[in-house]
Amino acid sequence: MESEKAKLLPFYLVIDVSASMTGDKLEQANAIMPAVVDALSDAPILSDKVRFGVIDFGTDALVRLPLCDLLDEHVTLPPLNVRGATSYAAAFRLLRDEIESNVKQLKADGFQVHRPAVFFISDGEPTDRDADWRDAFRDLTENFPTYPNVVPCGVDAANPKTMASLIYPASGPKAMQMYLMDHGQNPADAIAMIAEILISSMLASGQSMAQGSSGLILPAKQDLPAGISAHSSDDFV
Amino acid sequence: MDTSTEEPTTPAAAPAAEPEWRGRSEPFQVGDPGRAASRVVPVPDPEGWDRRDTVLDGVALMDDAKKPIGEVRAASVRGLSHRAYGTVRQDEYSFRRTRDGRYLVIGVADGVSAGKLSHKAAIVAARKGAELIAKALSGPDPLAPDNFPWPDLVRAVAGRIERLGRERLTAMGNAAASTMSVREVAGHIATTVLYAVVDLTPVGGAHAVHLLSVGDTSAWVLRDGGRWEPQDAVKNDGADLHSSSVHALPLPPAVDPKPVRTTVAAGEALVLMTDGIGDPLGHGTGAVGRFLADVWSGPPASGLEFAAHVGFARKSFDDDRTAVAFWPTSRA
Repeated sequence: MESEKAKLLPFYLVIDVSASMTGDKLEQANAIMPAVVDALSDAPILSDKVRFGVIDFGTDALVRLPLCDLLDEHVTLPPLNVRGATSYAAAFRLLRDEIESNVKQLKADGFQVHRPAVFFISDGEPTDRDADWRDAFRDLTENFPTYPNVVPCGVDAANPKTMASLIYPASGPKAMQMYLMDHGQNPADAIAMIAEILISSMLASGQSMAQGSSGLILPAKQDLPAGISAHSSDDFV
Repeated sequence: MDTSTEEPTTPAAAPAAEPEWRGRSEPFQVGDPGRAASRVVPVPDPEGWDRRDTVLDGVALMDDAKKPIGEVRAASVRGLSHRAYGTVRQDEYSFRRTRDGRYLVIGVADGVSAGKLSHKAAIVAARKGAELIAKALSGPDPLAPDNFPWPDLVRAVAGRIERLGRERLTAMGNAAASTMSVREVAGHIATTVLYAVVDLTPVGGAHAVHLLSVGDTSAWVLRDGGRWEPQDAVKNDGADLHSSSVHALPLPPAVDPKPVRTTVAAGEALVLMTDGIGDPLGHGTGAVGRFLADVWSGPPASGLEFAAHVGFARKSFDDDRTAVAFWPTSRA
């Protein structure tokens, strides 16, 4: 094993593919990965460091793209398809398992790993019991030393209060935010804008790594595309 | 130019013309060079036109009989990420021999990236620090490295950085610059630094070396057989997730830094380096350790060659890199 350690920045996209995510919404969801690939192709400093993974969830959750170097020639982008209900609990549990094993593996391979970033996109309310998904979220965050920075993104029928409870960390100097589709906005367009936000925060985080910081950098509120607004955890009580 | 087509009468007999030039320049790579090494387009820092991308040196130190005592190679190379994002090189080095010729003093500093003025802190720490040390070691009432007042030196350098920071911030229109806390000043201008004092008079063939470090700039001795021996703790060892926090001047160190004493002899090399090269070197047991042990088994022919070694490409290692090395010459 090499003792020298390259620094990696893991990004996870966790996306709702419940039955309501059909049509234009699914089409935009499927456009996210190619857009990230395009952005990384133009950012060699960042693409040497970012690892990207995709988990989708409906009734269950599946790893659709294991954490990888997106520009690696062996990577094939998976098509997303809708399936069933909206289990947040399944998504959080699988994400925790993935982060735990990915970070362990990367460290065994001799990398230094920055705290993972998670963009969580949903268009509706969780269908599992309240206590279930809340427990699963606590296990992913408070009860997890390698907890990720979680950025919830709500479109369409996502409940702002529910989404706000998924911001992590919710307070402190490294507090995250959530992004919500503005009322009356086309949800498919909103997903495309969330993809833009994900990409710009990836680029900004890469630049901030170059400036010695190791945190996830989210775009400033004035830089957001129209139709999306940013909120902190205390905006919805 | 191939002239054979213009001279059809002598098709085969013309001897190959002696080439008018030779030589080549090719970047070093260790393992996967990554995409950045070939794809980054370097851009200037619009506020740093007089800050050079790369500086380097290669000199021999002679004794009174004009016999070499040792060779010094030094290079500071702007990192790929600073080139890509248009930021100046924040590392700096300095070295000088004391007036009496007895000691070689080296300073290597790594400006803290978050501070916009940190390259200026690195310049002060490396140059002024080395100058103050050299003066104290060879003045009318010279000090010896063994009882050198390192805490005083660190305080003096920290004070100069703090003053410079307040001056620059005031000049930039920051009204609070003269009253803000040292911690706030350090948010704009801060640096780690490592000093070495090499006794150029060897005892039993070995040169005594005193090292003093504030922050994560590291000193190594490349021992015989290519073994990298760290002269302090390797950073982030055992850390759960990577952290970028460092101790840096002008903030006073929590406890007075303790000097480390070692020796370097002919066949070995003392190497001071910033984390841009220290991080990929790791414990010195990987590919980078083998590469540098190989090319630095003796002093490279020139400072330019040394700088090319320092600037090797390796995926995801895109920080500024600075190294200063000293190879004692065999006196047999």
